[in-house]
Amino acid sequence: MRSITKIGLAMGVALLAAAPVWAHHAFAAEFDGKTPVKLQGTVTKMEWINPHAWIHIDVKDKDGKVTNWMVECGTPNTLLRRGVNKNSVTPGMEIVVDGYQAKDGSNKANGRDVTFADGRKVFLGNTGTGGPGDAPEK
Amino acid sequence: MKLRCVVVGVLTAVMAASTAAQKTWTPPRTADGQPDLEGVWSNATITPLERPADLAAKAFFAPSEVAAYEKRVVENANVDRRRSDITADVGLAYNEAWWDRGTHVVKTLRTSLIVDPADGKIPALTAEGERRAAAVAEQRRLHPADGPEDRGLTERCILWPTAGPPMMPSAYNNNYQIFQGPGYVAIMVEMIHDVRIIPLDGRPHLPPNVRQWLGDSRGHWEGNTLVVETTNFTNKTRFRGSSEDLHLTERFTRTDPDTILYEYTVNDPATWTKPWTAQVTMTKSDSRVYEYACHEGNYGMVGMLEGARAEEKNSAKAGAK
Repeated sequence: MRSITKIGLAMGVALLAAAPVWAHHAFAAEFDGKTPVKLQGTVTKMEWINPHAWIHIDVKDKDGKVTNWMVECGTPNTLLRRGVNKNSVTPGMEIVVDGYQAKDGSNKANGRDVTFADGRKVFLGNTGTGGPGDAPEK
Repeated sequence: MKLRCVVVGVLTAVMAASTAAQKTWTPPRTADGQPDLEGVWSNATITPLERPADLAAKAFFAPSEVAAYEKRVVENANVDRRRSDITADVGLAYNEAWWDRGTHVVKTLRTSLIVDPADGKIPALTAEGERRAAAVAEQRRLHPADGPEDRGLTERCILWPTAGPPMMPSAYNNNYQIFQGPGYVAIMVEMIHDVRIIPLDGRPHLPPNVRQWLGDSRGHWEGNTLVVETTNFTNKTRFRGSSEDLHLTERFTRTDPDTILYEYTVNDPATWTKPWTAQVTMTKSDSRVYEYACHEGNYGMVGMLEGARAEEKNSAKAGAK
């Protein structure tokens, strides 16, 4: 990612079909591939803020100690267009986050996969034409 | 889908002869008589800027080829999968719920956004352009994240490299709202929350010592086409490595009620060996432009700098052992 980011920043371009585009910033500069985390916890709040939304969860360890984690999500504008809104993720919901921890060791992770306790994805994509967010044909 | 292909095919034929298109369809006028470009438009498309190698000899798709190509590209770009390269998995492993790149090729059915040169590729860099790109890369290598100024303009919420000018399809929030008033056109860009105000009254450009992140745009009408010339960029506004002497010419032509044919020509002899031109079709959108207040919660900048400090500590520890 670092090399891709470098090229992207130097050239200032999104290579669309040729390579996946970068998001608002370099996730690989923020999160550590060597520390994958799997967190199950209770949502305390979701921050609908730009450039990326964040979900906060309380995670209880085996000794009962509760730690609050922050999980980075997609850009709010797009999430809204995909049908995610303030009622989709609310305090008290149980979610499971499969992601990577922040490089500085703080309790932050990227939301690589975010699912509800029953396995349903919190953020659903739709592969194929005609999906949500797909401009109507004109 | 079949119907769409037929429609697209007809559209291509019409757009291929743009003067003919202007003769066959006259855009409505605003209250003060300008051709009407107002509304929300999306330029999301899967068509790449440069022509992919496997399509090197093919400037246009046949209408019958489009559906399969779109399906393949969308599935490949958006498939939700774990990547074996762990760094790539951290950085890129999001499915399309996170993206809004569109799912269709441009309505002209071109295989690249670049229409000139004919090979669909950006011309070679000049020696000066190469030196500048190398200097930027070297600075980035030596000082990846000493402070926020070392990070890109995107991460600092200053400029999005595809927001324009020129306006290019990007990962998400590909939405633009055009407003027209007497003597002015304004373009509000969702990503990342800029409004470009373009005077149409023939006033000269700003003096050369005044430099702006978005440059200095001046517009005029040529028939039904809005032509916008932009100069006076800063030396930090690098459109694909351009210099501050970049001279950009954009052309907006509404070719039917739901389409603007947007074309831009990049002329920067200090960077490229010849000018180049790209075209994107913009589609009328029923969506609205949402505010993208980029700095609102830019925790990522803090996270990246803290990440760099943690890496330095780890390297120092490893060196001391």
